[in-house]
Amino acid sequence: MIPFLRKRVISSAVPLVCVVLGVFFLARMTGDPVDLYLPLSATAEQRAEFSAAQGFDLSVPEQLWNYLVNAAHLDFGTSLRTGQSAGSMVIDAFPVTLQLAGVTMLLAITGAVLVGSLAAYRPNSLIDRVASLLSMTAASIPDFWFAIMGVLVFGVGLGLLPTSGTLGGPEIWVLPVATLLIRPFGVLVQVVRGSMVTALSAPYVKIARSKGATPRRVVFGHALRNAVTPVLTVAGDLTVGLVNGAVIVETIFGWPGIGKLMIDSILQRDFAVLQAAVLLTAVTIFALNILVDVCHALTDPRVRQAVPA
Amino acid sequence: MLLAGAVLMSSGCAVANSAGGDTGRADGRTLRVVLTQEPPTLEPCEASLTGTGVVVRSNITEPLVERDPTSGELNPLLATTWKQTAPRTWTFDIRSGVTFQNGAPFTAKDAAFSIDRAVNSDLACNVEGYVFGNDDLEVEAVNDGRLTVTTEKPDPILPLRLSFVEIVPRTTDTEAKVRVPVGTGPYAVRSWQAGAAISLDRFDGYWGEAPAFARARYVWRSDASVRAAMIDKGEAEIAVALDPMEAEKDTTVAYPNNETTALRLDGREPPLDDIRVRRAIDSAVDRDGIVDALLGGLAEPAGQLVPPGVVGHSDGIEAPRQDVAEARALVREAEADGVPTDRQITLVARNGMFSGVSETAEALQYQMRQIGLNVRVRMADTATHLQYQLRPLPEDVGPVALLIMHGNQAGDAAFTTSQYLLSDGPQSTFGTETLDRRIAEAGALSGHERQQAFAGLLAEQNESVVQYAHLAHMNGLLGLSPSIRYEPDSATGDELRLTEVRPAEGAKH
Repeated sequence: MIPFLRKRVISSAVPLVCVVLGVFFLARMTGDPVDLYLPLSATAEQRAEFSAAQGFDLSVPEQLWNYLVNAAHLDFGTSLRTGQSAGSMVIDAFPVTLQLAGVTMLLAITGAVLVGSLAAYRPNSLIDRVASLLSMTAASIPDFWFAIMGVLVFGVGLGLLPTSGTLGGPEIWVLPVATLLIRPFGVLVQVVRGSMVTALSAPYVKIARSKGATPRRVVFGHALRNAVTPVLTVAGDLTVGLVNGAVIVETIFGWPGIGKLMIDSILQRDFAVLQAAVLLTAVTIFALNILVDVCHALTDPRVRQAVPA
Repeated sequence: MLLAGAVLMSSGCAVANSAGGDTGRADGRTLRVVLTQEPPTLEPCEASLTGTGVVVRSNITEPLVERDPTSGELNPLLATTWKQTAPRTWTFDIRSGVTFQNGAPFTAKDAAFSIDRAVNSDLACNVEGYVFGNDDLEVEAVNDGRLTVTTEKPDPILPLRLSFVEIVPRTTDTEAKVRVPVGTGPYAVRSWQAGAAISLDRFDGYWGEAPAFARARYVWRSDASVRAAMIDKGEAEIAVALDPMEAEKDTTVAYPNNETTALRLDGREPPLDDIRVRRAIDSAVDRDGIVDALLGGLAEPAGQLVPPGVVGHSDGIEAPRQDVAEARALVREAEADGVPTDRQITLVARNGMFSGVSETAEALQYQMRQIGLNVRVRMADTATHLQYQLRPLPEDVGPVALLIMHGNQAGDAAFTTSQYLLSDGPQSTFGTETLDRRIAEAGALSGHERQQAFAGLLAEQNESVVQYAHLAHMNGLLGLSPSIRYEPDSATGDELRLTEVRPAEGAKH
């Protein structure tokens, strides 16, 4: 397991470094923040002073070096937009996104396992066809449209849910989570169904059936354990996507998460916050990928055996 | 699954920890306002930024004088009277009995400190650039009740400029901008939950009439349909910047917001350096069609950069009617003289500038192509758009037609012309010596002569410069709950005065 982990950490660290460096350089190609943060009539001296204070007067490699040195001391700089610590802004925003992603994936996996297993147990039945149709539809619906329709129907029309916001009871979770949930759920139902159809046709399942095992025992006791590996892999990728892509949900529903923070930082050329947000997100995705790989290896010994020491 | 469970278990419900939602319940005591974005700061010297000013100005802090958005007259606020006591000096009598929200009394020394901090300091305040340019002011508190302000050159509209300086106590930081201010206004900041809401409490020591609502709470939603839904659902009393598609509802009201849209034509680059081509573009624009079809009828076709109500606006300048045949003829004439009319012109517009901006850019592209010009559209974000908008202008990008939206909240064309029409104005690509001279002359005048001078030079722009093909004087759209009464005016988008909001008679909360 240790060699497997070592190999995975090294291979996953490469894209992590590329993303962090790439964002650093690309951000500086988008324009000079001085134009956004100083008044129209700012003098050349004021512009120079501002650039020097922010370190923008240095060459890009020098800026990168300073960034890396400071980041090693957990100093991510100050937000140009708010004057607050970039690190604290990111730390405040990240749990919001993690909560959304966590709740969403918990519900998506649970629901997909139930629906996908049911569909797989009786292939081509009415239940299977309905599940397939709904899951394909769910996987295809645009987040933005679903969110706005949810607000109009369940918020304004029926008056059952708040339109948006983060303060309140459990009801405030419903529309944001439903919006985030719909695509992973649709994808996972199809993956679970496919894996379960294969698993349920395996000889050991036929033997279990011939010995009189109940359908529940056959599905959840025998087949699911062997069908779970591809489901975990896809669920891991989807979770990474959720952490990275909750932008629409956070924007529409006013959730101050990392996605919205990143978009705002890009639009406002707030480099310190953008870099801190990308670094933390990239490290989280890195950790998630390792976690998925470990789960994968634990459930399927062939995975860890395939990695040379 | 493990991760999801762990996150749930560890985080608890940190997000969901308060009843009543972000805006709070409709309790009749709290005025709930939904903005488009979170203010980056509440620093008073940044109050000329829309996102900051809409919360701060005349709610938390106040200036010495304020401009009536409808009549254009200056009204006393923290100064009771003012007069020009020397060619370069204005004297202000300061209101007595005013206290700051921290309990300190307000005197002329605070006013002097505030002006000095906003205009003469190294803080690089936005109000400095927009309102005062590079000129410093000499400010002196003669005594606690009197203030003198001296300018480098005679300035007939100094009190108007000072209406943009929000007064803060002398204890305010002079080395750095503050995030949360103290002022003399009717509301004080109670809390700022970063990312979620700003709450204000009524200031019981306020010198003026007490506002009707004991509290105010601001939240922000970037999607206009969600802002509108919050009014429909009773989650907010006021929602700013709604889409034209909401215009027919009883809960929305349109108001002229002093914004004007126009195409700025870069007169340094062929084919836009030829006045016939610029005139052709001006003639090609179908203003009525754009207003009706793309702006929901919530605008007026424009022929000048400032709308009615601003000193310098001329009723005699009408919006040009579309004349495609004449425009084509002008382009052909220029082409015959060797002007490269087939050179690609980049039409740059900013995402989110107004509702329907991308469709408007495409319509303009079509109309310019109709007369034989080669145009491509580039939609840009704010920072990129600023690079095209402000000097130093980008090099080697070819001819640019920039879609701009100019808001003149100061109420005087001097603020427009110094930026957009001077040859070397920060937002101008070119000009003429004649126009520069007329702008300088107009800026030194006052009263009727000032009005006539600015009206004349705006007409001169259309006749001999044509740097701008004006599109429309815009309207804002406000969502208002039936439970309140409020009449928006042209300043509402930048200065939403909460004291002017009253509960509707018989409204249930």
